[in-house]
Amino acid sequence: DLMGARLAGSHVDTQEPKTNPLISISDEPETLYKRLSLLVKGHDKAVLDSYEYFAVLAAKELGISVEKVHKPPKKIERLTLLKSVHIYKKHRVQYEMRTHYLCLELKYLTSSTAAVYLEYVQRNLPEGVAMEVKKTKIEKIPEHIREPVWDTLPQVEETEVK
Amino acid sequence: HVPPRTERMDVDQDWSSVYPTAASFKPASVPLPIRMGYPVKGGVPPTKEGNLELIKIPNFLHLTPPAIKKHCAALKDFCTEWPSALDSDEKCEQHFPIEIETVDYVSAGTSIRNPKARVVTLSVKLSNLNLDDHAKKKLIKLVGERYCKDTDMLTITTDRCPLRRQNYDYGIHLLTVLYHESWKTEMWESEKTEEDMEEYIWENSCSQKNALDTLLRIKASENVSNVTEEELLASEVVKNYRNSVIALKNEGETENNMAQYKESVKKLLNIQALP
Repeated sequence: DLMGARLAGSHVDTQEPKTNPLISISDEPETLYKRLSLLVKGHDKAVLDSYEYFAVLAAKELGISVEKVHKPPKKIERLTLLKSVHIYKKHRVQYEMRTHYLCLELKYLTSSTAAVYLEYVQRNLPEGVAMEVKKTKIEKIPEHIREPVWDTLPQVEETEVK
Repeated sequence: HVPPRTERMDVDQDWSSVYPTAASFKPASVPLPIRMGYPVKGGVPPTKEGNLELIKIPNFLHLTPPAIKKHCAALKDFCTEWPSALDSDEKCEQHFPIEIETVDYVSAGTSIRNPKARVVTLSVKLSNLNLDDHAKKKLIKLVGERYCKDTDMLTITTDRCPLRRQNYDYGIHLLTVLYHESWKTEMWESEKTEEDMEEYIWENSCSQKNALDTLLRIKASENVSNVTEEELLASEVVKNYRNSVIALKNEGETENNMAQYKESVKKLLNIQALP
């Protein structure tokens, strides 16, 4: 079974199907990500389509809810250069670079789920494709913003307490 | 010569053992009759043997649906569940009001670093912070453009430190400082004039003085016994007038506001509708 050869040692022993010795559970509370937005950029639309199928299937299998999958319009960057090395200004050559986009929005992930999904999806990014991941983390209000600190300092008299 | 491996493959073989990892296209290992490329004049695209176009393009032969399912089944142990109590955006907002946005960039190139990755954006709704009236107004004045009135969100974007963790700490520090400074009252804040006020207050304004003045003069000319100012202020007509003026100043001029103002002025000055 060569399936686990590439993924960083995550194969399950056939003798112990229930407890995976590679899993370690830590006590600190997990950070929560309200939204994970993946923007994938590439030069070839067919490659991005296949990648979309792969990423959506992976998210469904891992139990991540996919909010929206949409394709922003492509951007074409064009340049006009001189065709010849020395003179002949009237003869030019034109190049263009097409960038196709694919945007995947995932909702409600914990940090370990996000880490697993992102590592899996980023290791299988095809050649020549780039990705931007926007993470929106949600947090409670920190301790020092609950109450104004002036209430606990009665000795300070220059500034009025309100 | 040796026949290609494709002739010895069964239909129900395990494909994930043929292509377990990302590999370039091998025409002798893929049993599909693929043709790719620009067709010859009056002909068809070239076959897969020795076809450079098929080797150049990235293929997804290692990521067929059964292979993806096997990978995810192995990875599922490492994932944790989202807490089921936070199933809507409003509940997340209520329990975890602060939102922090960070961006990661993945691309191939000479270096894996991207200088845009250190930007951190903190956003919080002011209704979730413990602020009283004066503190909220002072905070909005301190923060200026970073506050959006329509959604009641304060957005702080930090970029000045070289590392993302430092930018995040700086953002939290800014929020703490703004919060505590807005609760302080400086001595010069008592010199706040009418131009600095964010919203219109009717008490002690020219409108109140004029209205009371006019009403007192009307009562004096009708020779009614001296009515005190408090009684005038508490009467219905004056209250109507006050509400309509406040609505006009704070919300702008709309059809409803103007109609309300007209009615209240007519009642105040006892004018009947023109015939």
